[in-house]
Amino acid sequence: MNYELTTLLVIGGGYLVLLFAVAYFTDKGWVPSKLVNHPIVYVLSLGVFASIWAYYTSIGNALREGYGYLAQSIGISLAFLFSPLLLKPILELTRSHQLSSLADLMAFRYRSPWAGTITTLVILIGVTPLIALQIRAVADTANILASSTNRGSIAFIFCILITLFAILFGTSTQAGRTRHDGLLMAIAFESLVKLIAYLAVGAFAIFGVFGGFEGLNEWLISRQDLVQTLKETDYLSSFHMMTLLFFSASVAMPHMFYVTFNENNTNNNLSAASWGLPLYFLLLSLPVLPILWAGIKADTGLQIEYFPVIIGAAHDFPLFSLVGYLGGLSAASALIIVITLALSNMCLNHIILPIYQPTARNDIYSWLLWHRRVLITTLIWAGYLFHYLYGYRISIEMIGVVAFSASVQFLPGIVSILYWPQGNKKGFLAGLCISFILWIFFIVLPLFYDISTSFLTFNSTYWRELIAISLILNTLTFFIVSLLTKASDEEKSSADLCALDTIQRRKRSGLNAKSPSDFIKSLSKPLGKKTATREVNQALDDLKLEIDDKRPYSMRRLRGKLEANLSGLLGPSFARELIDRYLPYSAVSKHSSSDLNVIENRIESYRSNLSGMATDLDNLRRYHRQILLDLPLGVCSLSYENEVIMWNHSLEDFTHIAASDVVGSQLLDLPEPWLSLISNFLDNNANHSFKSKFQLEDKEKTVNLHKSLIADSGQQDVRNEGIIILIEDITETEILEAGLTHSERLASIGRLAAGVAHEIGNPITGIACLAQTIRDEYQENELNVLAKKIIEQTDRTSNILQSLVNFAHAGSARKSRQQEFVDINNCIQEARMLISLDKKNSDIEYQISCSSDATILGDPQRILQVLVNLINNARDASQPKSTITLNATSEGEHVRITVTDQGIGISQTIRDRIFDPFFTTKEAGEGTGLGLSLVFSIIEDLDGDIDIISPVNKESGRGTSVIVTFPRVSDITQAYEK
Amino acid sequence: MYIPRSILVLIIIVYLLFLTSIDWINEPQGAWFRPFFVGILVVIVAAWSHREQDSDEL
Repeated sequence: MNYELTTLLVIGGGYLVLLFAVAYFTDKGWVPSKLVNHPIVYVLSLGVFASIWAYYTSIGNALREGYGYLAQSIGISLAFLFSPLLLKPILELTRSHQLSSLADLMAFRYRSPWAGTITTLVILIGVTPLIALQIRAVADTANILASSTNRGSIAFIFCILITLFAILFGTSTQAGRTRHDGLLMAIAFESLVKLIAYLAVGAFAIFGVFGGFEGLNEWLISRQDLVQTLKETDYLSSFHMMTLLFFSASVAMPHMFYVTFNENNTNNNLSAASWGLPLYFLLLSLPVLPILWAGIKADTGLQIEYFPVIIGAAHDFPLFSLVGYLGGLSAASALIIVITLALSNMCLNHIILPIYQPTARNDIYSWLLWHRRVLITTLIWAGYLFHYLYGYRISIEMIGVVAFSASVQFLPGIVSILYWPQGNKKGFLAGLCISFILWIFFIVLPLFYDISTSFLTFNSTYWRELIAISLILNTLTFFIVSLLTKASDEEKSSADLCALDTIQRRKRSGLNAKSPSDFIKSLSKPLGKKTATREVNQALDDLKLEIDDKRPYSMRRLRGKLEANLSGLLGPSFARELIDRYLPYSAVSKHSSSDLNVIENRIESYRSNLSGMATDLDNLRRYHRQILLDLPLGVCSLSYENEVIMWNHSLEDFTHIAASDVVGSQLLDLPEPWLSLISNFLDNNANHSFKSKFQLEDKEKTVNLHKSLIADSGQQDVRNEGIIILIEDITETEILEAGLTHSERLASIGRLAAGVAHEIGNPITGIACLAQTIRDEYQENELNVLAKKIIEQTDRTSNILQSLVNFAHAGSARKSRQQEFVDINNCIQEARMLISLDKKNSDIEYQISCSSDATILGDPQRILQVLVNLINNARDASQPKSTITLNATSEGEHVRITVTDQGIGISQTIRDRIFDPFFTTKEAGEGTGLGLSLVFSIIEDLDGDIDIISPVNKESGRGTSVIVTFPRVSDITQAYEK
Repeated sequence: MYIPRSILVLIIIVYLLFLTSIDWINEPQGAWFRPFFVGILVVIVAAWSHREQDSDEL
């Protein structure tokens, strides 16, 4: 046609350089992250599925099968429209277990390295012709445009550029762990170019070739044969099979698996793709018919499939040929890049690593990187070799059939992963082997050998029937063998993990490695210390755990995460083998119970998907759990292996240990004194322990402990045996009880004192009377003196007895006491006068200062008693010639009375006891110890308050100030109102 | 197994559309782009049915 070959090479090379730039700028962070992470980029990158098959082959399909050419779009669209049924659960699996390919998924689910290896081999055989098809299409279209015959060199240069791109942007040391933003952006860019180019060529066909829709319709009226072919329903016979092929290809083809699951970093992406990708394919299918008809109208005699490139030049608009060529180039390059990246991972994990592995002395990341690069190069050039040897001997249509029919063989295995946990390794491998043999003999080999000379009697033109038969035999074999054979426990556990309908019954097992340091030590043997440290730290970061976390629950999670991360790096088979060997579980006890923490986390993460009865059950579970958490008693639940399952809020408050720090750890990891307290109680046979005392932060604490065994539920699958412990903090109750006992004792003493006073009072009165008689009768002799002494002693005894009686009656009959308007000034003066009658310490000076409005409501005699007691105490504590200050002031709603002396003060050790009855610091016979106790009772009766400041003078350490506060009553009217 | 209700609605709508539209698409006098109208309708319903999903972290 009109272009020089070199021009096309420059344009093609320029386009690929632009692709390099997009990927490079994105990797450098020069493209806004909002755009890079936008779901539209993900949706467009899924457009990689629209390869040369969709771009060129659909034109030929449209001519042969009418609307049947839509099968590809409909097949892939159905898979994404109903993504919650298939793609979303697989996305969850691949994310949780870092599975990067279909082979990884099969090896993980069926617990067999062979499942992964056979899957890789089948896909490798099926996909290599597809790579060759892309190379062929690029070379052919360049040749058509340049009217050249040098297809080999075009294909060669194209392969070199694509190899460079795939190596530079598709491989990194973080393989399997992070999204390749640059690569994804470049693939999305390619899909956009492809779509725009196709729509532009389609628009040219309608408006440039036919002059609009009317022109097209008029032309179609003249070509009723084309309209008839388009609308005849014969295509329906193959339509269903083609739809099924493309449906299964959406999961099984390596490039789709890679982009759909590996390069997806948020859930929103898949939701957007559920309608975005069908829309993309709808738009891509739209120009097919106009391009076909424009090509037929041009009647160039060239291959129908290449009409998108031909029609521009044929209708004297070569620019549109160039646009069509660029669209095809982007379709081919995107598919080759992604498919070889995905295949390189599969080959490395399932063919290379099972044969030989890097040693601990190697830098494992570098080893993997270089092997991956070599594999990418090998795969691209294997495609080139296929193209070189067989490229023109096989029809474009049949190459697509070989590739997509390879994917359909995995359909039973894929469906079984999610919906039939009974399916096992033997069934899967048997079914796959049968369909693989049929596929090789009746679909693949006939492409290379002349069937007339072959022993094969089937013709590959019956491929639809052959694929249907192989699929049916595959499914039947899988079903029958799975039912007849038994799966291993490991495989059952894996099936449970994958299946949607079954409950995960993850057992709680101990690990030999007890800390992250032990993990590093164990993994250093196969991976080397540097790699092991990096992987363990990465897993700790992913789980947000600390390096010093030693909880068994955390260790189990760390092991699982490490297996998942290593699976992303080395494939699930090798990762599992490595983890099982170097981080084994300790002997699993027969009591190993279900890991409730894991079950709970799973329910929490799945919660918004629950509906109906399941939601009710979940609400009920949450309610009961909340009851336990909010119970005003400490609740600690232990597993059979003494692992802490629950630590409620009360226990958190009491122990100051957060639940997040202790749940999942062993009882032995608890700090003291809790470890001793709970361990001793568990060792004890009794189910209740009352008033256990222990020291916590230098304070004595008292707790009641109760325990109960959580019995086996009886279900074999769910073992939840353990112990629940209730810890009741009764420290406050204990203090109150002690106070009550003390009060009771005092009440008894009071009653005793009253009785004693009464019994002793009568004879004392008699003695006093007799002594007075003797004194009066014998005025002048010695008897008179003796009688006076007897009278003094009986007076003293009477005073003591009166004190006892007063104490005994203090607080009783409170309501009956008379309440009067009392002037504190008068009371102080009277008390001062009474005190002065006693000649003891008569040289003490009293300084009295009273405000006139210091008035209260109370019994004047009792207030006088308070004042006399306080002044007496002050006087007894004072040195001769010292001063006692008496103050009474009204301060707002209160009257404040202060009695201050300059004595020796009150030591801290006795301060708490000075209001106790019978407590005295005076010499025996000097005081009863009832004075301050009585004062306290009276003040309490009058709603007052008493406080003691000692020493008053901080420097000398001397002086005591007793401050009594009463509610103030300002006038008599208020007094009566009260 | 949990299937969002909106997806069930989508499945039913797609199935009914397929049944009812196949004759309409293949009418001899019908426009060639009729299947794409049906496709657009399915995409709109799909966009609606996937609007409020995926609140859970995986």
